[in-house]
Amino acid sequence: MHSQLSFGGAPPKKMDGSMLVDFNFRIIFEYLPLFLTGLKSTFFISLISIALALVTGIIACACRISGIKILKYPAIAFIEIIRSTPLLVQIYFLYFGLPTLGLRVPEIQTGIIALMLNSGAYIAEIIRAGITSVDQGQLEAGTASGLNYIQRMRFIILPQALGVTVPPLLGQSIVLVKDSALLSLISVMELTRCGQTMTSERFMPSEAFFTVAFFYMCIYFCLKALADWSQRRLIFREAY
Amino acid sequence: MIEFKNVNKWFNKLHVLNNINLKIPKGEVLVICGPSGSGKSTLIRCINRLERIQKGEIIVNNTPVHDKSSNLTKLRAQIGFVFQQFHLYPHMTVLQNVMLAPVNVKKLDKKVAEKIAREKLEKVGLTEKASAYPAQLSGGQQQRVAIARGLAMSPEIMLFDEPTSALDPEMIGEVLDVMVKLVSEGMTMCVVTHEMGFAKKVAHRVLFMDEGTIVETGTPDDFFDHPKTDRAAEFISKILTH
Amino acid sequence: MMGFYFSRLVEIYPFFLKGLWMTSKIAFISLVTCTLIGFILGIFRSGKNIILKRIVGVYVAFVRGTPFVVQIFIVFFILPEWGLQLDAFPAALLAMAIMGSAFICEIVAGGIDSISKGQWEAAASSGLTLAQQLRLVIVPQAMRVILPPLVGQYVLLIKDTSVVSVIGVMELTRVGWVTVVRIPEGLMVFSLVGVLYFSISYPLILLSNYLERKMALE
Repeated sequence: MHSQLSFGGAPPKKMDGSMLVDFNFRIIFEYLPLFLTGLKSTFFISLISIALALVTGIIACACRISGIKILKYPAIAFIEIIRSTPLLVQIYFLYFGLPTLGLRVPEIQTGIIALMLNSGAYIAEIIRAGITSVDQGQLEAGTASGLNYIQRMRFIILPQALGVTVPPLLGQSIVLVKDSALLSLISVMELTRCGQTMTSERFMPSEAFFTVAFFYMCIYFCLKALADWSQRRLIFREAY
Repeated sequence: MIEFKNVNKWFNKLHVLNNINLKIPKGEVLVICGPSGSGKSTLIRCINRLERIQKGEIIVNNTPVHDKSSNLTKLRAQIGFVFQQFHLYPHMTVLQNVMLAPVNVKKLDKKVAEKIAREKLEKVGLTEKASAYPAQLSGGQQQRVAIARGLAMSPEIMLFDEPTSALDPEMIGEVLDVMVKLVSEGMTMCVVTHEMGFAKKVAHRVLFMDEGTIVETGTPDDFFDHPKTDRAAEFISKILTH
Repeated sequence: MMGFYFSRLVEIYPFFLKGLWMTSKIAFISLVTCTLIGFILGIFRSGKNIILKRIVGVYVAFVRGTPFVVQIFIVFFILPEWGLQLDAFPAALLAMAIMGSAFICEIVAGGIDSISKGQWEAAASSGLTLAQQLRLVIVPQAMRVILPPLVGQYVLLIKDTSVVSVIGVMELTRVGWVTVVRIPEGLMVFSLVGVLYFSISYPLILLSNYLERKMALE
């Protein structure tokens, strides 16, 4: 069955139950350590990237909504450029571009920077939407009682904006985990790369990529459950 | 014309219609009233199968409504329904709203349907609003358009589910006037409402429902002036005191 | 040195335009197929048939839960094992179709779900069939809710075409990748690539923003 080596030349599998029996679980168990390493790597890359992206997003958002032109316009440019160009192009831009500036950055860090900037731009917009969603009337009430800008932000806007912001942030985390798969194309050792490795070593793309897909689905369902829970619990509405 | 035979409906554990037996002959104007949650809306919504029943039979013009083999389209074409919230189609003009069913269900020619639609709009007193959109109309006007929409199919029966409950007080009159006009033309009508003036003026019979059962029925005069049951009496006094 | 590379880049410019053309082709075909399939699936997903709803739901969950690059690998490397051997370009179109339809399905279902039950009941009460209710009353109204996120999804799909470069389709990103080997000016090459993507994405983003504001006003 699997002794045929070329992709195109492999005899087509019969579309019946034997397909499932052929599915070589033993091979998967053999490669399990590799997959788990990849999973761990994906996990850490995603975690670090989302944390950095959060910081980037907060800074970019602060610049975006500030009245100071020298901060505002570069922030807008940054966000619009990121949102209008594909992540893969941004990854390649850094991967091939940084060396020309004389910087030798390891792939994994290049990847994290790309994810940080990309998700950072989207997070900036999410935060901005959250802040503008807080009813203007509340701000007026705060101003009327004499609170200054920082106090209004701290006591009125941010606590309420938080509830509106957390679900989409978790959504962006899900996106980021999937985006991290692209790092496999610049030779970063993560989950998708394990699938590619197993395919090139054993020519069993079904076992390799279905296993990879399975792991991603697990991460997805965990994050989705978290996002749905937060949607229900964290949104405050004005009580009339 | 409309007959309920041992009709029962449950909503989860709640028994919303409890052994309803009812006969509504052709030409009768029936008013159904009762406290909220009594099942009165559910009752008329079962007539054109907006709601399903679990036990019993409802027969309209010799056709069983809840039978799988019945032609639901044909049945609904004979029944006009007016909702509390009007539910006019916001993306169409008033004229298009009224014409939609005649063109698409009865497959009438557009010109013929337009003529009929304008006739019905004239009947409800809104000829000049034919090209307007629902959002540009007041609540009372929208409800009158909804009545015209129901009439466009030339139904034999008109059902009204609390037609004036969502209206500001000064608009209730214009809608009730249209309904009174329909009565004088001999339309079979079944109206769920709290408008006792309307009931006294034109209804042939009043039905009082509470907790899914028909508690009392009678002519309007009998019912409002001499209610036979305590529950009915209590209900009437509550409506009249506000 | 930069000048030397810059002039070579100018020479190779037509190559980039070819890549842009390929990207546009893939994007256009994908937008059309995904919209058609997505609308049909979205109608099933918001309908009453629970079995159909669940099946579409499982499909959507798979697409949303896995990276697009993994889906492309599945289409290109696994389908041949089951008898469907595709060249890179058709495989790319298939993968885009599968992925895009799932997202558009959710947008359409969301739009249809947002229409009040009363509209369905009013339409049904006049005797309209289910198909007529959808065509004449529900979907026209749902389009107002669907349009802004739909255009936003189109932008995402255009950007996702870059991922099909992994199976060798000579679209814009792959052109950049192949070029940077011979003209090792990564910044310049991929800036050019970025500008070209920007030129097709940004107008759509502006359109999406405009639609969002317009819908909010009504």
